[in-house]
Amino acid sequence: FVSYQVEILDWKTKEQLCFLDKVEPNATIREIRLMFHKLYPRLYPARQSIKLDPKGKSLRDEEILQHLPVGTTATLYFKDLGPQIGWTTVFLIEYTGPLFIYFLFYFRMPFVYGLDERFTSSPHPVVNLACICHSFHYIKRLIETVFVHRFSHGTMPLRNIVKNCLYYWGFAAWLAYYINHPLYTPPSYGKKQINFAVVMFLLCEAGNFSIHVALSDLQRNGSKIRRIPYPTKNPFTWLFFFVSCPNYTYEVGTWISFTIMTQCVPVGLFTLLCFIQMTVWAKDKHCTYLREFKDYPSLRMPIIPFLL
Amino acid sequence: LQHPDISVTDNVLHFRAQGHGAKGDNIYEFEIEFLEPVEPNPVCRVTQRQLNITVQKKESNWWERLTKQEKRPLFLAPDFDRWLDESDAEMELKEKEEEKINKMKIESRVPKDPFRHLKKGYLVMYNLVQFLGFSWIFVNMTVRLFILGKDSFYDTFHTISDMMYFCETLALMEIVNSLIGLVKTPLIPAVLQVFGRIFILFVILGSLEEMQSKPVVFFIFYFWSIIELFRYPYYMLSCIGIEWKPLTWLRYTAWIPLYPLGGLAEAVSIIQSIPIFNETGKFSLELPNPLNVTIPFSFLLQISPIALVLVVFANCRYLYKQRKRHLGPKKRKMK
Repeated sequence: FVSYQVEILDWKTKEQLCFLDKVEPNATIREIRLMFHKLYPRLYPARQSIKLDPKGKSLRDEEILQHLPVGTTATLYFKDLGPQIGWTTVFLIEYTGPLFIYFLFYFRMPFVYGLDERFTSSPHPVVNLACICHSFHYIKRLIETVFVHRFSHGTMPLRNIVKNCLYYWGFAAWLAYYINHPLYTPPSYGKKQINFAVVMFLLCEAGNFSIHVALSDLQRNGSKIRRIPYPTKNPFTWLFFFVSCPNYTYEVGTWISFTIMTQCVPVGLFTLLCFIQMTVWAKDKHCTYLREFKDYPSLRMPIIPFLL
Repeated sequence: LQHPDISVTDNVLHFRAQGHGAKGDNIYEFEIEFLEPVEPNPVCRVTQRQLNITVQKKESNWWERLTKQEKRPLFLAPDFDRWLDESDAEMELKEKEEEKINKMKIESRVPKDPFRHLKKGYLVMYNLVQFLGFSWIFVNMTVRLFILGKDSFYDTFHTISDMMYFCETLALMEIVNSLIGLVKTPLIPAVLQVFGRIFILFVILGSLEEMQSKPVVFFIFYFWSIIELFRYPYYMLSCIGIEWKPLTWLRYTAWIPLYPLGGLAEAVSIIQSIPIFNETGKFSLELPNPLNVTIPFSFLLQISPIALVLVVFANCRYLYKQRKRHLGPKKRKMK
């Protein structure tokens, strides 16, 4: 019976950007974002950060106006997050790049190794195997992005995609160059080393996929409530007993196996950087879990059982 | 007053009671909806002539007005004896907060680290050893400069290198100290400085006989040792909690000429070493090799002066900020 008035100020200059009259008390922040978007067509909702305090955190879409600590005339602050791009789009671009870049080197395009070596193929079977594994890895990631992953944030800033693509595509080119090089040296321990690596690779890929499926099942029905992930009947998910983010553990395992398979320093370097980045993410996730759930299993470590 | 029914639901105060008034026995009631959320349990005190209801705000802050609606109910009048101005309210809040902070400080005082003496002792020893090492280097080089003049340039490496190897290898401990949080220095400047110096010392100078008899070695070692002459004693004293102002000033000012000069000398040494590395092919790795990687060492050397400039610039920027922090405030006070 009381309608609210909402004024939205710029977070830095504090000038009034818009004044909304007769807002329903049970209006959600999402509806307010849509109203703001009508006034400023360029600033679509994903780009708007609406907050109660100029230096505070952005309000979520689901928050309801009357439950916020505001009076009947609410003052909210707006910050432009810059052009945004959806997570799915980002992942699709990030992962298709390495897939095709590797092929440029595998099929020895003329400009890569010089005209004399164009379109030749390597005498080593391990090189073909490496191409199959590398492609399998990225195709699996693409399938997961489209069918399995559920993203909690809708978008990320556009400039991130340049950074991420440089990293993934650059490294893919660097390691593909050496693996498919005419002067490539196969692993020192021969077939034993390669077979071991292939088995490890397949196990880790299966594990990684199982974890992604398990995590996605947790958020079925589009519920935004967070729950603790637990092991299921799938033996690969039993790593959840020991680790908060087994998907990262399996991912590092995949790259270690690829390093062993190809015996190539650039691959090893990429594995090391992946490990460092994923450890940072895993620790972050682990801390969030500990904060949100009082009964979080105490045996679990972030990424490596018992160690890290 | 009889049968009072007082409650707060959804930030609305409901009052209902039976009373004996001027017009006989009647049932009196009113409702007030508050501006902002309130605690749901009002405290009531009844006296002969009046009934006191105390309702607490959920959040302690200033309210523009009591009720949600903009018009004040006609029966509502403020009691100015208890009125708190906005500034009074703020003062009250501030006092309460200060009390809370003091309480927290006393209650949650972290139990003193039982190892703190050991840690301090280790840091003092480390800084002392480094100071002695670099003093030896500096004094030695200065004496030889006076005695031999320019000739001392050519065998600086031969006489000084052992001590310099020792000191710069020991300097790796500074990275460890920063990593485990023993020292407040951030990790990145420490890593850049130590690794930069180790690269110059072991790779550029140490691995090439030819480089070792070049005059640039003298300048590199001299600049490094003068800076450290001020840095280590300053750290040593600050561990014990003593501050000697002239030393602080030296530590945070000497870098201004010395870091760029040191960087220049290092860049010269790199450029001089490039042709020698090209000839011998040291540290270069070509295909095929079991590691399946190439190290274009010559190319990397040629672009390393750029990296060197960036590192020196980064360290200078860090020290400039530190200088403002340690030396700046005093200047303001003097004005």
